[in-house]
Amino acid sequence: MNRFPILKIVLTHLTSRKRQTIVSMLGVTFGITVFIFQAGVITGLQDFFIEKTINSTAHIHIYQDKNQKSPPVLLDVYDADKTWISVPNIKSKEELPKLKRGLQIVEILESYPEVTGVSPSLSTQAILKLGVADISGIINGVNVRKENRLFDLEPDMVSGSIIRLETVNNGIILGSGLAESLGAILNDNITVVSPGGVALQMKVVGILDTGLRDLDNNRAYSSIRNTQKLMNVTGSYITDIKIKLENVERSGTLAREFQSRFGYTAEDWKEANEGIFSVFRIQNIVTYLVIISILLVSGFGIFNILSMMIYEKMNDIAILKSIGYTDVDIRNVFLLEALIIGFIGGLIGLLIGFVLSWITSIIPTNIEGFVSSEYLNINFDPAFYLLALVFGLVATGIAGYLPAKKASKIDPINIIRSQ
Amino acid sequence: MKKVIEAKHLNKYFYKPVEFHVLKDIDLSIYSGEFAAIVGPSGSGKSTLLYALSSLDREYEGEVLFNDIELKTLTNQKLAYLRNRSIGFIFQFHYLLADFTALDNVMLPGLKLGELPPEELEEKAMQKLDLLGIADQAMKKVNRLSGGQQQRVSIARALINEPRIIFCDEPTGNLDSKNAMVVFDMLKNLTREYDQTILMVTHDDSFSSKTDRQIQLLDGKIIDRETP
Repeated sequence: MNRFPILKIVLTHLTSRKRQTIVSMLGVTFGITVFIFQAGVITGLQDFFIEKTINSTAHIHIYQDKNQKSPPVLLDVYDADKTWISVPNIKSKEELPKLKRGLQIVEILESYPEVTGVSPSLSTQAILKLGVADISGIINGVNVRKENRLFDLEPDMVSGSIIRLETVNNGIILGSGLAESLGAILNDNITVVSPGGVALQMKVVGILDTGLRDLDNNRAYSSIRNTQKLMNVTGSYITDIKIKLENVERSGTLAREFQSRFGYTAEDWKEANEGIFSVFRIQNIVTYLVIISILLVSGFGIFNILSMMIYEKMNDIAILKSIGYTDVDIRNVFLLEALIIGFIGGLIGLLIGFVLSWITSIIPTNIEGFVSSEYLNINFDPAFYLLALVFGLVATGIAGYLPAKKASKIDPINIIRSQ
Repeated sequence: MKKVIEAKHLNKYFYKPVEFHVLKDIDLSIYSGEFAAIVGPSGSGKSTLLYALSSLDREYEGEVLFNDIELKTLTNQKLAYLRNRSIGFIFQFHYLLADFTALDNVMLPGLKLGELPPEELEEKAMQKLDLLGIADQAMKKVNRLSGGQQQRVSIARALINEPRIIFCDEPTGNLDSKNAMVVFDMLKNLTREYDQTILMVTHDDSFSSKTDRQIQLLDGKIIDRETP
């Protein structure tokens, strides 16, 4: 069948009712714009956060879980099936969270081909003092080269340099928030006191700003040796091993393998950030609900306008049918009108959404909160644009199909007779 | 002569607002090349008969055969093809697509048929418009044309696919007497020069008397039949 007259009829209808056409296009445009903008902002923020989180947390973290309670020793002596044992108020074992043979484990891990970096560390609470200011923080004792390979600290340094941690005796790198509340700047000498009462004079050799508020406000880095001195422990004492993998998706599997192999808790990064991911899931549901309701509204708009158009075009429909156009032709005319409205409205929506997102991404926002960032990170993933257009077309297609179907059912005799 | 349309025991009822027997046991044949008029007072069922014979109304009792095919047996698809290929319509109110040019309106049935490439079809449509003396109006939108011109456009449209028969429902009813005469003469000319079969409904005796055959309808019955 020749498609030309159908298309011609469609275009003539659309252009002869410009205002209606534009209004219904605007409905779609608005829906798609909001889709693009909202999806871009929300997922951009999430991606930014995930990226920061992946960069600043290990893919797998091996440590000793102090809260694991050992089963009562009575069980070793008596058979639980025959003897009823009740031990009230079981306490955690008084035990340092030391990883025994920690450094050997590091060597074994380094021989895994899937592991790209291993960083042993230990951490302790400490009070940092400068003049009258004293702030509690967490001192991470790290091998700074290894730690840098894992977490890429160097680009986040706002002053100083990570390598000075090795060259300067008793060097310390402060988180930006920590430094600010302490009033410390580069090369200041501060006093660090451990819970065990050991005090060390340390020199600020760098200030680190990761953008993750929680870390920047609490964390400081020092060498393994200095931290061991603070904690008053021997040179083989480490509490944590952090691991980066070649493929982050393998983290769950490998974490389970390490846990059973070394007998310590091995936690992958998703587990460690479970709370955030569930927030993201809820956020995504809300986003899609908003988008769907907007598209629903614009769908109703198209439905209304097409229904009105069909009412106005009763004569045309009767004529077309009396000169030999089929039900399907008539349906296609109105369906095509809806789809053209959806397609053009959608394209404009994509464009406006893109421009809006782009403008937003270059306006400094200086967000301070969960994460801090100078600009809003916006997702320009083409998949969203494709999805938005498909969504728009499906919505307008459905909205157009119903009136179009109705139009195809019109019997010309009823129109002609009523004249 | 070959029958184009044949009605056998055609009965038609209206059910709203009250049951009403419009067409009563009509037997009628229209032959190829005929110029026939259905005449009768208003309310006698003239238009209803025309709609039933012309495939627009298929809710009747009895049979209507178009080229020996019962219209009721056709699917919507085949019916559409039949209308497109073999039937031309001219209505009282010119029933053109208002937003299109005269030429587009004439071409529409031909484009649907798709037997000619668009260029040739356009040429043919221009010939038809020329035949009806309105070739100079071809590029104007039809709502800018006068009533008489519009009716001539719809005649050109009815002719474009060279149908077996053209049905006219009061084709001159909405025109002043001068234009009515012009349009009627054109229709008659088609039957004379091109051997076009035309069945026309009219209440105007001055026109019907000039046709080959008058089918007198009164209260849904054919009361007088002149065979050609």
